[in-house]
Amino acid sequence: MILSVSKELINNLKSAGVDFFVSVPCKLLAGQIELLEKDKDVYYLPVTREEEGFGLCAGANLGGHFPCILMQDSGLGNSVNALRSLIQFFQIPVVMLMSYRGAPGEPVPAQVPMGNLIPDFLRLMQIPVLYCSEQKDLDDIGSLVTHSKTAECPVAILIDFHLMESEI
Amino acid sequence: MRRYELIEALIPEFKETLVICNIGIPSQEMFSIRDRDNHFYMLGSMGLCSSIGLGLSMTTDKTVVSLEGDGSLLMNLGSLATIANHAPKNFILLVIDNGTYGSTGDQPTFTSQATSLSEIASGAGCADVIECDGQDAPQHLRTAISAGCASVIVAKVESGNEACPVVPLHPIVLRERFKKFVIS
Repeated sequence: MILSVSKELINNLKSAGVDFFVSVPCKLLAGQIELLEKDKDVYYLPVTREEEGFGLCAGANLGGHFPCILMQDSGLGNSVNALRSLIQFFQIPVVMLMSYRGAPGEPVPAQVPMGNLIPDFLRLMQIPVLYCSEQKDLDDIGSLVTHSKTAECPVAILIDFHLMESEI
Repeated sequence: MRRYELIEALIPEFKETLVICNIGIPSQEMFSIRDRDNHFYMLGSMGLCSSIGLGLSMTTDKTVVSLEGDGSLLMNLGSLATIANHAPKNFILLVIDNGTYGSTGDQPTFTSQATSLSEIASGAGCADVIECDGQDAPQHLRTAISAGCASVIVAKVESGNEACPVVPLHPIVLRERFKKFVIS
């Protein structure tokens, strides 16, 4: 399979300085995870749960690295306290590369209730968001990642079914 | 021996070690006994002590000790599987297991009943797991540090807390002084 969208996603993150990745899998993230598993230039490991992943991201940043967590948007529900009382309280930059499940194109009904909440939920949590629905949207990843570093805050990239349709 | 006395006994071992200290009374006790720049007091995010330490240990050559509690580890048991599969040799998980949620009123945890964290750690695939009495924990920690392999130490102590004030450090001050020590 040609993973051109996933390649551009990961390359844009790496070019912006991200060098430590953890993941909880999703169908829309499979291509990026496949690339990271083979990537010798960055740290990568899977974790068992999103909240745990934010702990690893915080530790990696204390060690001087710039972390990213790959996760389903539903995992935001598992991570609220970690985000508030660890990542945002200690002002730790983290990129959240999230699949936008429950949005148009979603085949699984159970993904919809959480997916519907995600935009408002991220706004309530004061997390800046980049919505990526077409490949040209990926051009803005660099400036979002720079903002995460400057503002010392978590930022979210939401990738949807339309963006990833060539890979699923 | 309670947690407080065990932390007192461990402090001399932590001079050059990066310590991630569990939220609540463990951090308050440690701060009151001895505060150093290489101590990271969690302040929030209960359950993530082992995860923060693991992430840090992957990005530094210094020894990292996650000073964890039984109640906290029970919230994040998946972490033991991640540790078993990915912990580098400079990572040590030291669980102070007093069988209670000390910070919230000493309610019993399951480790005071049927549950064994050391057996869960072994079952998760952690290779070097030791369960010991609290008084023997400093020696096991020294051995683990000099052996240079990822280890899990479950130190059994009595329940009970020392009355100590809340850690007065601002999170950004704490973060910055710790990061400076990491690269020193």
